[in-house]
Amino acid sequence: MKIGAPTEVFEGEARVAMTPDSARLLQKLGYECVVQSGAGQKAGFNDATYTDAGVEVVADASALYAAADIVAKVRPPSETEVGYLTKGQTLISFFYPAANEPLMKNAAEHGANVIAMDMVPRISRAQKMDALSSMANIAGYRAVIEAGNNFGRFFTGQVTAAGKVPPAKVLVVGAGVAGLAAIGTSTSLGAITYAFDVRPEVAEQVESMGAEFVFLDFEEEQQDGAKAGGYASVSSPEFAAAQLAKFRELAPDIDIVITTALIPNREAPELWTPDMVAAMKPGSVIVDLAAEKGGNCKMTVMDEKIVTDNGVTIIGYTDFPSRMATQSSTLYANNIRHMMADLTPEKDGQVNHNMEDDVIRGATITHEGAVTFPPPPPKTNAIAVQAKKEPIKELTAEEKRAKEVAEFKAQTKSQVILMAIGGGLILLAGLYTPPSFMQHFIVFVLSVFIGFQVIWNVAHSLHTPLMAVTNAISSIIILGALIQIGSSSVLVTILAALSVFMAGINIFGGFMVTRRMLAMFQKS
Amino acid sequence: MENAFTIAAYVVAAVLFILSLGGLSGQESAKRAVWYGIVGMAIAVAATLFGPGAGLWWLSIVLIAIGGFIGMQLANKVQMTQMPELVAAMHSLVGLAAVFVGFNADMTINLVEAAKVAGEAVTGSFSELVAKKDAVEITILRVELALGIWIGAVTFTGSVIAYGKLAGKVNTAAIKLPGGHVLNAAAAAGSLLLLIMYLSGAGSWTLILMTLLALFIGYHLIMGIGGADMPVVVSMLNSYSGWAAAAIGFSLGNDLLIVVGALVGSSGAILSYIMCKAMNRSFVSVILGGFGGPAGEQMAVEGEQIAIDADGVATALDEADSVVIIPGYGMAVAQAQQNVAELTSRLRAKGKSVRFAIHPVAGRLPGHMNVLLAEAKVPYDIVLEMDEINDDFPDTDVAIVIGSNDIVNPAAQDDPNSPIAGMPVLECWKAKQVFVSKRGQGTGYSGIENPLFFKDNTRMFYGDAKKSLDELLTRIS
Repeated sequence: MKIGAPTEVFEGEARVAMTPDSARLLQKLGYECVVQSGAGQKAGFNDATYTDAGVEVVADASALYAAADIVAKVRPPSETEVGYLTKGQTLISFFYPAANEPLMKNAAEHGANVIAMDMVPRISRAQKMDALSSMANIAGYRAVIEAGNNFGRFFTGQVTAAGKVPPAKVLVVGAGVAGLAAIGTSTSLGAITYAFDVRPEVAEQVESMGAEFVFLDFEEEQQDGAKAGGYASVSSPEFAAAQLAKFRELAPDIDIVITTALIPNREAPELWTPDMVAAMKPGSVIVDLAAEKGGNCKMTVMDEKIVTDNGVTIIGYTDFPSRMATQSSTLYANNIRHMMADLTPEKDGQVNHNMEDDVIRGATITHEGAVTFPPPPPKTNAIAVQAKKEPIKELTAEEKRAKEVAEFKAQTKSQVILMAIGGGLILLAGLYTPPSFMQHFIVFVLSVFIGFQVIWNVAHSLHTPLMAVTNAISSIIILGALIQIGSSSVLVTILAALSVFMAGINIFGGFMVTRRMLAMFQKS
Repeated sequence: MENAFTIAAYVVAAVLFILSLGGLSGQESAKRAVWYGIVGMAIAVAATLFGPGAGLWWLSIVLIAIGGFIGMQLANKVQMTQMPELVAAMHSLVGLAAVFVGFNADMTINLVEAAKVAGEAVTGSFSELVAKKDAVEITILRVELALGIWIGAVTFTGSVIAYGKLAGKVNTAAIKLPGGHVLNAAAAAGSLLLLIMYLSGAGSWTLILMTLLALFIGYHLIMGIGGADMPVVVSMLNSYSGWAAAAIGFSLGNDLLIVVGALVGSSGAILSYIMCKAMNRSFVSVILGGFGGPAGEQMAVEGEQIAIDADGVATALDEADSVVIIPGYGMAVAQAQQNVAELTSRLRAKGKSVRFAIHPVAGRLPGHMNVLLAEAKVPYDIVLEMDEINDDFPDTDVAIVIGSNDIVNPAAQDDPNSPIAGMPVLECWKAKQVFVSKRGQGTGYSGIENPLFFKDNTRMFYGDAKKSLDELLTRIS
């Protein structure tokens, strides 16, 4: 079958769904690849590099849609593009089916199977095709770069001959994929980074990226993000108020704010109010990654950069991934390629559209002429629901002491009992056995004791040499054989001789191999 | 007859043996400790040859020389990865020797009794000793020698089977004859019955039959224990060989044999205990073989094993500051310890911190991994025990798991229904990134799914450990 990538028709979109590298890997899955002339131009891949990778280049979109069995795109298709779709053709692209219902129905009427990359469920197995995450990662990185571009100072603090430069303070609101990427970029540029999220369980991730998590003084059972498929959900009004109060307190100190708070299928929550913007210093920058959904700051103008009256720059671009088209095309093309790999379990170039598979089922929005959106809930949870942890009770000093005393008593008791039983048994044996036996028995008991005391101190790493050495000295049995070898019975002599021989092997073998091993232990 | 000089020599030898074992508490003192053991053995043998073993002393010396020559050849040729086999094979020799000596004692008793009846004098130092004993003492003597023979016989077949399993000559899976433990119990009861018959004068055939039953128990017991439990088995057999020597010591009235037997016996017992504790299983459950059935449904493992190639590992290692390597039996099987050592020295040359984490039951012998790493010249001060390193994993950049499975299984902590729940494990998943060098996707010996392989920060480096590392080494200079 043929996979084709057309040129994106959306205004300003520079990405492409297939790169020469991904095409090579798709060919390994048994597919032929085709691309519209100039599709990769803006992302830095010209037609010649595609041709080199064995990709067929066709002149225009209609030719491409006619040639390809599977069409891979970035942006949701336009009406015209849906018009090209034919029965049985597969379209893979971002689709946002909830917002584009007429388009989805239209595609279904054309009989095309549509896989929406934005509908890939968030389970570990599907991470490799989670295009939302890979694009969010780029957006988070680029948000910091754009902020820096519009920010008049260094990120990192410096003490130079010309004077001291304070470090920039960055606040990242929403620690999803984009937020974490922004945190990482910002900390590595040297800024002091704070981060906030309504899901307290991400505090650990935030701190692992080197930022400081902003905790609220708020007593409420906070929601567990795991239930909502790893996404944030709506918070209570009290919580929202506490959150805004905290931001208001921070606003005067913060130089750069990056907001990434999105709730699936809802307008973006307002987190950075106009009074906070007013409280910020001139020259500060706000990057609103939620601009497409109305913005976390309501002053944001979508796709534009504005400067407020008090000199705060608010960036509302929505095309961050497209601004890094080479990088984002590479990652997106890889996501598509992984999706194709899952669709082609046999690697024979034939699509096996397995609707039983959680990932494929979840992402498919139209199949064989029918709309299959929304998908049933996946069989596996995105993230294991956090078990409530019982806090370990701190013991008070008295309780600890009491516990120690009790343990000591129990130990003493068990030791006394053991000794009493052991002593009793020995005494009993002494009553019925001759003294010659008891003499030897005392030696035996004492030796066992010494053995226990000595062996506990042997280093773990020397356990193998210990076994070899005990093996060698257990051939002390040779003494018995030596004593018997002079017997008048021939059979006894033969058996004794054999024993001497075997013990001889053991003595030399055991000691030699121990020496060899110990000689190898070297200090650095 | 033992004279005072022999006893004095025995005392010296016993002290030397104790010092020899005590010296193993540290790597440096251990090198001296071996010599104590050698000298102690030399004194003991020499004193016996001059004293009570003077009969046919020239034959004894010749036999020791031949045996010693073979022993030295073996010791010098054996590969360090074959240590478990060698140790097991040697245990079998001690066990067999104990059986022979025990039978000799029985025959001597019969000879002496015959001589007494005939009114003849007896020759040989042991016969003279026996001749002096009264009826009660003879009975005790018989109990002791029967015990020595019995333990020796169990040790012998047990060690032979253990050797076969370790050398791959016998199927390593746990195999039981129909009847299972009932068979063992029956054999043990039969042995006891035969012992009573033997004591009441039924003749030597009871002793021979009892030995056969013991041989069967040794065979069947060890056949029923799987490959991963071998560290316990080997140390247990070590212990048995000691107890056999002690029992023989009682019957021969030789204190040195008793002392050394007791030392070896308790040493093996402690090692077995340490191994069992490291697996969070009782000694009995190991000996009875196999894992107990899971207590309930085990947690399903989610996610996917993500593979990585040598380039990826090399890049990650290049960026890492601290690396912890966790070797397991797989490293020994693939003979990859030299490559591991080479990797270690190259990474250390770049100023990275490289350490090894050794689980007590890694490998097939207590301390197996330490010996292999030492052979490959990995300095022992970077080879750490589980307790020493477990807290350091959160600060570790890269953990590399080479051929180990159950000892790094997080299910032991997370899943109360896992068969290995509660077993202490190396918490390598807390490292920033984990690479697992493994032959394929299958579960390990125990058949327990390992959630570590499915974790987000785990990457699977498939392939034979040695080849994988070879490939990796070409990318790290």
